[in-house]
Amino acid sequence: MAEAILEVRDLHKHYPLTQGILFKKQVGAVKAVDGVDFDLASGETLGIVGESGCGKSTVAKMLVNLEKPTSGSIKYKGEDLTKLSPRALKAVRRNIQMVFQDPYTSLNPRMTVGDIIGEPYEIHPEVAPKGDRRRKVQDLLDVVGLNPEYINRYPHQFSGGQRQRIGIARGLALQPEIIVADEPVSALDVSVQAQVVNLLDRLQSEFALSYVFIAHDLSIVRHISDRVGVMYLGRIVEIGTDAQIYDHPTHPYTQALLSAVPVPDPEARAHRERIILTGDVPSPANVPSGCRFRTRCWKAQERCALEVPLLAVPAVFRLTDSPARHDSACHFAEEKQVVPPEDSLAHAAPLEDGPAPVEAAREAASEEGAEEEAVAIAEADEAAAEGRGAGGAGGDGSDGAGGAGEGRPEEPGGPKTL
Amino acid sequence: MLLEVRDLHVEFHTRDGVAKAVNGVNYSVEAGETLAVLGESGSGKSVTAQAVMGILDMPPGKIPKGEILFKGQDLLKLKEEERRKVRGAKMAMIFQDALSSLNPVLSVGEQLGEMFIVHKGMSKKDARAKAVELMDRVRIPAARERVGQYPHQFSGGMRQRIMIAMALALEPELIIADEPTTALDVTVQAQVMDLLAELQREYNMGLILITHDLGVVADVADKIAVMYAGRIVEQAPVHEIYKAPAHPYTRGLLDSIPRLDQKGQELYAIKGLPPNLLAIPPGCAFNPRCPMAQDVCRTDVPPLYEVTESPVPRASACHFWKECLHG
Repeated sequence: MAEAILEVRDLHKHYPLTQGILFKKQVGAVKAVDGVDFDLASGETLGIVGESGCGKSTVAKMLVNLEKPTSGSIKYKGEDLTKLSPRALKAVRRNIQMVFQDPYTSLNPRMTVGDIIGEPYEIHPEVAPKGDRRRKVQDLLDVVGLNPEYINRYPHQFSGGQRQRIGIARGLALQPEIIVADEPVSALDVSVQAQVVNLLDRLQSEFALSYVFIAHDLSIVRHISDRVGVMYLGRIVEIGTDAQIYDHPTHPYTQALLSAVPVPDPEARAHRERIILTGDVPSPANVPSGCRFRTRCWKAQERCALEVPLLAVPAVFRLTDSPARHDSACHFAEEKQVVPPEDSLAHAAPLEDGPAPVEAAREAASEEGAEEEAVAIAEADEAAAEGRGAGGAGGDGSDGAGGAGEGRPEEPGGPKTL
Repeated sequence: MLLEVRDLHVEFHTRDGVAKAVNGVNYSVEAGETLAVLGESGSGKSVTAQAVMGILDMPPGKIPKGEILFKGQDLLKLKEEERRKVRGAKMAMIFQDALSSLNPVLSVGEQLGEMFIVHKGMSKKDARAKAVELMDRVRIPAARERVGQYPHQFSGGMRQRIMIAMALALEPELIIADEPTTALDVTVQAQVMDLLAELQREYNMGLILITHDLGVVADVADKIAVMYAGRIVEQAPVHEIYKAPAHPYTRGLLDSIPRLDQKGQELYAIKGLPPNLLAIPPGCAFNPRCPMAQDVCRTDVPPLYEVTESPVPRASACHFWKECLHG
């Protein structure tokens, strides 16, 4: 991986809950972000996915310093943003810009497009001297595919997709190195989403940008991202390359999330196993002990309530070179292909992201002890069989998965694997 | 036939002119069948549904033409009092945003029970018992305890279940669900869609599912009507449409979904923007954005051509549907 331009370590954001009017007493905290680590390499796109309330937008706000972290560090080229003096911070912030979700509320309706895109220059006049600004703004409009003559128009004169282009132009104005995009296309119409995704893609290669791309649409995230992190209730539960996460997920939450995505093809759907989670996401003010996913997990055991699983390569995969070898915060991590890779969604695309699960396990096992081999293959076979079985009723999927999980309660982390 | 919409037109008279939101829509739903109406914002999919339900704001809305036949009876000819007896009892609607569709100052029990008090003349106590029963039916845990709670005390998925319960209360024959899962998270989306499909089977209801999400449609629908600028541009059984779309707009929508084998490449994007309803382009409304457009598309409005290849009725409003289907 290229040099990390952004290093996030143990990031927390807790919003205090208080009681009393005059003498406020803290009675708890909403743990919006509760220990997030990741690196962003120069020129790469890191996708962050998760459901609403998982803290992904709070992470975005902290990256651009719109929220102050409760603890943890955000290092930009080695400098910790949380510890910089205001003056130094101002200089650094120029390099990290944000594109917001809602193009209808993130543009001031009383400012012209020229004022909106040119406003960053008021704060950082060193980027563009006064006389030069109008031309710079027009260049930016051109870059994002808008007519430079629209510089004196107001936001309401534009459609949603065009407004998002204005938001992107504003993000580019200071020639940043990193762009944090928080759900940049989710408010747009389907036929316009692709246009904006293509624009972001083009700008990345044109200006050598690094993206943190936050979204809940898994197929768009996969399209644009080099690596993907999955967040649940304030923590990243699994992170890896897009192929590792989508084709070889090892965390049950990732598997459930992938299986829940509606597939726009009825035939692919028949090949897919569906895991339907029960219940809702717990409140971040009252996070479950141990693993925070355990209240909805079909594999949960006693251990999950006691020990917090760390985000690391699970012991079972540590010695393999299968794509399942990536960080996953689960005590009972196991590979499970949820979305068949060669389904008709990909229209007979060759399977390029590593071997099928059975082969993968065989290969992996050949490097390990013989006992392990039997277990691994049996499991992989089982998983493959499940994957093939028609995912008719939702309940079947999770039951089957439960069965697969039970086979190895004391396995992971055991001495055999190490 | 449970519901048949014939040549429906809806327009809105605004200061800037007449916005033609629906321009001749035909569709039908039978008992137990699911019709998905797919379209972007402004395509007229919700306005059509509101006209069917009879909850269109008139004025500024106006229905200059068309018929809405519910079991053979034209709803547009009914008086408001008669219409009210159909609405809720015979057909019901599930809205997108449960939080703003529920009354925040009434408990969910009161809101669910109201249906029985108004339509069936039940006592308050009986209505409350019915409310508990309904909440059980849509699988809200601890229904008896939660019946007195207010909408803000429920999560998004639970609120949408309450909306479903409310729609089901009088066991209607037709349910119109307008983007029922758009505001929900994916894992909760799956729960709600499954529940809806199951209840539909149980009661053998007709379901009109309005959505912009091609994925949701594929999971539950029997047939699809794709709308663009107030018209149905393609109508087909669900399997056919994904295999071989017969309209360039449908094709464009399907192609713009990111696929595995296209990673790293530019996504296919339909160029341009959806049309302004105050000034719909002459000829085929899609022609300025269509890669296949010819001169005839700019002058002649395409009728719904019958796509004969399939045994089940299938239609496309494109002059060049054959080329689209095979190319």
